[in-house]
Amino acid sequence: MKAFAAAVIAAITLGVLAMFALTSSQRFAYQAFATSGARVSEPGTNLVGPRWNGAPRPDEFESEPHGKAEGEGSHPKRS
Amino acid sequence: MRRATTLLSTLLVAVTLGVAAPAFAQNPIQADGVNPMGARPTADSVNEEFLFKQDSKIPGRISIPDQKAAILIQPQGREYQAFREGWLPWIGALVILGMIAALGAFFLFRGRIMMEHSQESGKKILRFNAFERFTHWMTASCFIILSLSGLNYIFGKRLLMPLIGPDAFGALAQWAKYSHVYLAWPFMLGVAFMFVLWIKDNIPNKIDWAWIKAGGGFIGKGHPHAARFNAGQKGVFWMVAGFGAAMSVTGLMMIFPFALTDINGMQVMQVVHSVIGIVFIAGILAHIYIGSLGMEGAYDAMGSGKVDLAWARAHHDLWVEQEQARTASGPQLKGHPAPAE
Repeated sequence: MKAFAAAVIAAITLGVLAMFALTSSQRFAYQAFATSGARVSEPGTNLVGPRWNGAPRPDEFESEPHGKAEGEGSHPKRS
Repeated sequence: MRRATTLLSTLLVAVTLGVAAPAFAQNPIQADGVNPMGARPTADSVNEEFLFKQDSKIPGRISIPDQKAAILIQPQGREYQAFREGWLPWIGALVILGMIAALGAFFLFRGRIMMEHSQESGKKILRFNAFERFTHWMTASCFIILSLSGLNYIFGKRLLMPLIGPDAFGALAQWAKYSHVYLAWPFMLGVAFMFVLWIKDNIPNKIDWAWIKAGGGFIGKGHPHAARFNAGQKGVFWMVAGFGAAMSVTGLMMIFPFALTDINGMQVMQVVHSVIGIVFIAGILAHIYIGSLGMEGAYDAMGSGKVDLAWARAHHDLWVEQEQARTASGPQLKGHPAPAE
């Protein structure tokens, strides 16, 4: 039982350490790939579509497309 | 005079063009894309078919640093989606439910394999030390979370979302994804530890072949000879080592997407990861069954670490003899009444 408890604690500890290590080196694509000359918009929250399979609804192109950028976009650079 | 000549020439050209141009203009009867000479003006232009002869995908040109965004058409993506959304759920359901059904049928046919009592019953022998059990349980507990969160990728939207709704499923799926990515690290460490700890006892030999020919003691009465691990346990070891390595490599490719592969490679990694994952889960279900419900006395090996000597003698007779010989000749356990304890 002690070995099991120690194993679970060790797994959680290593998982938390991995979380800190990975998140410190991660950025969203719209942050990582934007440059001073190109703005990459945030794609929104649901990239897989309303049916979660990546396929569009039959009536989707008549209404709002999924994956449309939401929120306030960054201001374009004036030069 | 010269100016008059120039003016006259210009006028002549203008008149000539004015008369001739309508003759070269598109004939309203002519079909689009076919000129009056009978040739198709776009016949020699670059098209998809021509581009696919040069490469398996069609790239464009972009100005942001994310060069993978320049891929315009990648037809393999459709095959990947057909597998991911069409074949994979069926493969997963058949393999995992098939294994559960097979184990259920085996239990009904064979029942629980009971311990055979002898005069050695009641004495204990140490089968796995504390570090071995720690390694096993760290890997096992991570594997259970990885399995459930991995199956959620395939079945969650089909089975869970209709029950709990998209908002709750979205939150659950996000936490499942976090647990999958972060608990993969202690799992990989556990697999590496297990490999180092137990490889010396898992090298296949002739005894394993005899064990397999005798049905491993599952069929009929009596137990074939076995050392510390029998052929079945060696199979589980090599499955965990092989599948663990494959899942680690393909998983790392997905944790660090596009680091070493392109979009096609990412799709291949997902296919390999998901198929091996399903077979891995099915194999471990059998391992869990035989280590708990399927065989009396087997769980103690990883529970307390000590097993009944009569059980050990029946299932791992060569190992018991080896341990008793080592204990009898070694000074480390002097004074202990139970051998190898």
